[in-house]
Amino acid sequence: MKRKSSISIHLIIFSISFSGLFFSSCGKKNLEGLMVCTEVTGKIQHQNLWKSKTPARIVAIDPAQPEGNIKVLTEGYYSAHSPEISWDGKSMLFTARQKENDSWKIYEMNLDNFKIRQVTSSDENCSNAVHLPNGRLVYGLLTCKDSANTGHPLFTCNPDGSDPKQITFNRNTYSALTVLNDGRVLALDKTSSADKQKNILMVMRPDGTKAELFYQGTVGSNLISSVSETTNGKIVFVESGAGTPNGTNITSISYNRPLHSRVNLTSEIKGDFQSVFPMPSGKLLVSYRTSEAERYSVYEFDPETKSLGKLVFADAEYDVCEIAVVHQQVRPKKLPSEVDFGVKTGLLLCQDVNFSDPNSIKNSPALQKAVSVEIMGIDSSMGIVPVEQDGSFFLKVIADQPFHIRTLDENGKVLNQPCEWIWIRPNERRGCVGCHEDHEQTPENRVPLAVKNLPVNVPVHIEKIKEKKISLE
Amino acid sequence: MKISTKNRWILGILVLLGLIIYFPGHKFARAHVNYRTGVEDHPLLCLNCHLYMNTSGPIAKMVNEDYLSPINLAVSKDGSRLYVVAQEGNALITVDADQEKVINKIEVGELPHSVLLSNDGQKAYVSNQWSDHVSVIDLSTSKVVDTLQTANGPAGLALSADGKMLYAVNTYSSNVSVIDLETGEEQKRLEVGNNPTGIKLSPEKKLLFVTSRRAILAPYGDPVKTDMTLINDSSRRIEGYKTLESAHIAENLAFTPSGDLAVVTLVRPKNLVPSIQVERGFMMNHGIGIFEQKKDGRIIQLLLDEPNAFYPDAFDVVITPDGKKAFVSNSGVDCISVLDMDSIRALIAASTPEMLNSCANNLGISSRFVVKRIPTGANPKGLALSPDGKKLYVAEQLQDRISVINTESLETIATIDLGGPKKITVARRGKRLFANAGHTFQNQYSCYSCHPDYHEDGLVYNMASKDMGRNLTNVQSLRDISKTAPFKWNGKNQTVFKQDGIRFSTVLTRTEQFSYPDLDAISSFIMTGIHYPPNLQHNPATELTEAQLRGKEIFERTVDQTGKEIPVGNRCITCHPAPYFTNRKLADVGTLAATDDSILFDVPHLNNIYASAPYLHDGRAATLEEIWTKYSPYDRHGVANDLSKIELNEMIEYLKTLSSPDYYESLTKKKHTENTSN
Repeated sequence: MKRKSSISIHLIIFSISFSGLFFSSCGKKNLEGLMVCTEVTGKIQHQNLWKSKTPARIVAIDPAQPEGNIKVLTEGYYSAHSPEISWDGKSMLFTARQKENDSWKIYEMNLDNFKIRQVTSSDENCSNAVHLPNGRLVYGLLTCKDSANTGHPLFTCNPDGSDPKQITFNRNTYSALTVLNDGRVLALDKTSSADKQKNILMVMRPDGTKAELFYQGTVGSNLISSVSETTNGKIVFVESGAGTPNGTNITSISYNRPLHSRVNLTSEIKGDFQSVFPMPSGKLLVSYRTSEAERYSVYEFDPETKSLGKLVFADAEYDVCEIAVVHQQVRPKKLPSEVDFGVKTGLLLCQDVNFSDPNSIKNSPALQKAVSVEIMGIDSSMGIVPVEQDGSFFLKVIADQPFHIRTLDENGKVLNQPCEWIWIRPNERRGCVGCHEDHEQTPENRVPLAVKNLPVNVPVHIEKIKEKKISLE
Repeated sequence: MKISTKNRWILGILVLLGLIIYFPGHKFARAHVNYRTGVEDHPLLCLNCHLYMNTSGPIAKMVNEDYLSPINLAVSKDGSRLYVVAQEGNALITVDADQEKVINKIEVGELPHSVLLSNDGQKAYVSNQWSDHVSVIDLSTSKVVDTLQTANGPAGLALSADGKMLYAVNTYSSNVSVIDLETGEEQKRLEVGNNPTGIKLSPEKKLLFVTSRRAILAPYGDPVKTDMTLINDSSRRIEGYKTLESAHIAENLAFTPSGDLAVVTLVRPKNLVPSIQVERGFMMNHGIGIFEQKKDGRIIQLLLDEPNAFYPDAFDVVITPDGKKAFVSNSGVDCISVLDMDSIRALIAASTPEMLNSCANNLGISSRFVVKRIPTGANPKGLALSPDGKKLYVAEQLQDRISVINTESLETIATIDLGGPKKITVARRGKRLFANAGHTFQNQYSCYSCHPDYHEDGLVYNMASKDMGRNLTNVQSLRDISKTAPFKWNGKNQTVFKQDGIRFSTVLTRTEQFSYPDLDAISSFIMTGIHYPPNLQHNPATELTEAQLRGKEIFERTVDQTGKEIPVGNRCITCHPAPYFTNRKLADVGTLAATDDSILFDVPHLNNIYASAPYLHDGRAATLEEIWTKYSPYDRHGVANDLSKIELNEMIEYLKTLSSPDYYESLTKKKHTENTSN
C-alpha cells in the first residue's frame, strides 16, 4: 500500500514536470514570429525617439492575428522604444524612462515571462542598446546637451550593466544600430556642426578598434531609422532628404560594397516610411503611411519587385514607428580583441600620405608632395612629424585620445586639410593606405620606409613612454 | 533482490577505488589537455588526440577513408564523356556526361594532376605528380598503354600544334619536359618560372604560356615578381618571360578564342606590408592577370575581391567559345566567379596605364565585370566547358563531385557523384576547413593561401605580432610535421591545437576562433593528412651517390678538417638527427636580426628541405649554400667554414636527399618485394 502511494506520488510529480515542460515549450513556440513594435500617439517630433517629447510604448502583436489582442510590453513606463531582440529570440533590450523627467536607461525583458530588469543605471541618457556576440551590450551614452562640442560616445557593458567601457573617443555623436554578421558594430554618426552635417554609418570592431567609414549618404540626406542586415547580404534603412524626393524612403546597400551600391527601393511609392525590418523569408516589414494625414502602419514589402504588400498591422490611435520580430538568428562572428589595457599606446602606420583620391580633395595642389604631417589634438597641436621619402609615417599614439592629421609642404603650408577625428585603442595597430584616399583601395605590396625605424611618439614632446612588455607571439 | 553484506563491501570498495582513480585521473587528464591545447576549457575528449591523430596502423585505417578528390577534368570532343582526374584516388574516372554517371575508373600513377586528350580523341594523357611520369590511356579500351617519363612533379600538359609533342610542366623541378609522342622519349627540358603548373597553346598556335606559382626568389623587401614563361612551339625553345608584378600563385590560364587576351589566375600578397589588420585588404588580394596579345601588349591585373568580401585561392579559368564569359574557380570560398569579357575589354580600353595600376589594388573594380558568383560544393578546382560552351563542369575536390552549370542561366543544373566515400571523417572535415577561407575575417585568405599544396608559398611575411617592421617570418611547410613539435620558429606552440587556437585568431585570422570541434578536425588533418612527395629528384632510390655519401660523412662528422674535435653542440648531427633531422629543441645559430626580438629558434626538420627555399627564419638565405657561405661567418650554425666549396656542395647534395622515413621504408619494402619475386 505504502509502495503504491509512493508510485502515485512519483507519477504525479512526473506528470506535473512533463506538463510544465510541455507548456513552457509551447510558450516558446508561440513567441517565435511575435511582432514587437514601438507606437507613438502624437506627432513624431524627432527621428530619435529619446529626444521626442511624445511618449512611446512597445507592444507585441501576433502578425497572424493582427486584429487580436495587443500586449503592451512596457506598461508603467512613461516612454519606451528601440526594441532589439537577442539572437536566440529569448530576450529584448529597449530604451525607456519610467517617469517623464527620468534619464533614459536600458532595460532587458525576458520574452519567456515578460519580466523586465534594468541594465544601465547612469544618470545620463543611455539609448539604442544592441547585443554583442560576446555577450556584452553596446549602447550610446547621451547627454542632454546636444551641442557640437560634446561627443556622444558608444559604450559597452556586461548584460547586467556592470563594467561599462567607452569604445569611441572622438567628439562625434554615435548611435549603435546593429551588429553585422561579420561581428562589427554599425553605428550612425550624426555629428553636425555649423558648416557641415553628416549622415554616415561607421563600422568598428566591438572593442572600438579599426573604426572606418561604411556608408555615406548624399548631401542633405538623413538616416532616420534603425539599420538591419538581411539574409542576402543587403543592409536596409530609411533615409530622408536629398535623393529621396517622395518624403522618406527605404535605402538598400550591399554589405560587400556599401559605399557604391545605394538603391532607393521605394522611389516609385508615394508616402513616407519610418522603419524597416528584414524577415527571414527575404521580405521586409515596413512602417509606412500614404500621407501625413494617415498613421504609420506595418506593411509587407517585397524588395525584389519593390512593391508594398499586405497590411500587417495598424493601430488607429498610434503611429507604429519601429518594428522587430521575435525569431532565432545566426549569431554574428565573435571577434577577438587586440585591446590590452596594460598598454598606453597604439600604433598607426600610413603607407603613403601623398596617395589621395583626386575626387575627394578640393582646392588641393595635387602634385605637391607632403614632407610632414601635423597631428592635431582637441585643443592644440600634438606635433609635426616628418614623412619618409615614400610618403610613409609611423606613429605611437597615446591611446583613446582623439586627433586628426593634416599634411604640410616644406614651408609648413597645409596641403590636405585634416582627416576626420580618429582614435587608437590601447595596443591597437592600424593602417591607412593614404590620405583622403579611395576607401576601396588596398595597400601596395612594399615595405613602408617608416617601419624601418621606431615609431614617433605622439604627442611628440613625450620622449619616452614606459610600456608594459609585450611578449612575442 | 537482497544484496549480501559481502557484496556490499565489494561494491563499496569498487566505488571507492573508482573515486580514487577518477579524481586524480580527471585532474591529470585536465592538466594534460590544458598543456596540449594551451587553454583551460577544451573539452576532455581523449579520442580527438588518441584516435584521430594516428598516422598509420589499423586505427588510422579505421577512422579514415580513401577519398577521390577530383582536381582537373577534360571533356571529349563530342561532349559525351568527362575524364576526371581523382588526385587522391590515383585514377582517371570516365563519366557519361549525358547520363551523369561514372562509367569506369582507370588506375594511373601517384597523385595525378592533369588530363589532356589527344587531337583525335583516342588517347588521354594523365600527369602523375608523385610518379614523375605521364600515363597514356587508350580511351577505347580504358587501359594504360604507356608511361612517359618526365622530370619532377609533372602537372599541366599541352600538345604541340602538330600534335606530335607533349609538353609536361614539372612543378617541383621548375622545367617543362618536351616529349616526342612517336618515340615516347623526353627530347629536352626547358627551364621555366618557379614552381610552374599551367600551360596553354595560344590560339594562333605559335606560343605556349606556362604559369608559375612561386615568385622569383628575392631578398625580403624586393618586389614580389612571378614569371610567365613563353615557349616557341616550332623551335621548342624559350621565347621569353613576362612578369606579373606584386603577384604570385598563378595556377592556370586561358586564352580568348580570338586570341586577343590571355587570362591567368593570381594572388596579390601583402607580405611586405606589416600585417596589422585584415580590413581593407591589408593581408591578401585575389584576382586575374590579363596579357594583351599584341605588340607591346600590356599586362593588367584586376581584383575579383570586393571591399568587404574576398574570393581567395583562384585555381582555374576557362573562357566560353564565343569569348564573352570567363569562369574562375575560387577554391577558398566555394564559388565560381563569372566575368564579362567585353566589360573587361572596355575597362582596359578606357584606362590609362596609371588607372590600370590603381585597378590592381582596387576592391571596387570587380563590380565592373563580375556578373555573378555561383556557389559550388567544397573546394572547386578544375573547370571544363562542353564543346558548345553551354555547360561548365566543375571538379569539386573535397566533395568528390562534379557540378554542372548552365552557362546561360548561370545556375547549377546537376551534380555528378563520383562514388567517393559518403562518410566525412574528422580529418576530411579538417581538410575542408583548411582549404576554406570561412574562418578568416571577410574570407580574405584560407590556410591554403599561404600553404598551397599544404606546403608553403615561399614568401616571408611581416607578421607584426609585436611591432611593425620586426620579426619577419618565413612560411614553414606543413608536410609530415606530426613528429616535429614544437611549432613556430620560436617553438612557442607545443601542439597544433595551440598553434591554431585563440592567439591564431587574434593575430592572423582576426575573426572568431575555431570552435573546438573544428580545431580538433583541422589539427587532425594537419597532423595526419599532409605528406611529403617522394623525393624522386634527389633520392629516387635508397642508395646515395658517392658525392652524396661524402656529404653524409661531412654532415655526421665529429672532427673538422684539421682533425680537431668539433664541440658536440656545434655538429650538424647534434641538432639535426635522423629520422626527422631535428632534435626538437631551441638553438641560437647566430642569425637573429637587429629587427628581431631576442628569441631562440626551434630547430627545423630537414626532410624534403630541397623544396622549401628560401631558408632561415626570415628567409634571408635564398639557397642552402647561403646558410653557410653568407650567414654563418663564425660557424655558429655548425662548423662549416673549414669546408672547401666542393665539400660544402657535397653536404648540400646529401641534405637534398633527405626525405620522409615512410618514404625510405616504402622503398625498402618495394626493393624487398622485387628481390623476393626475382
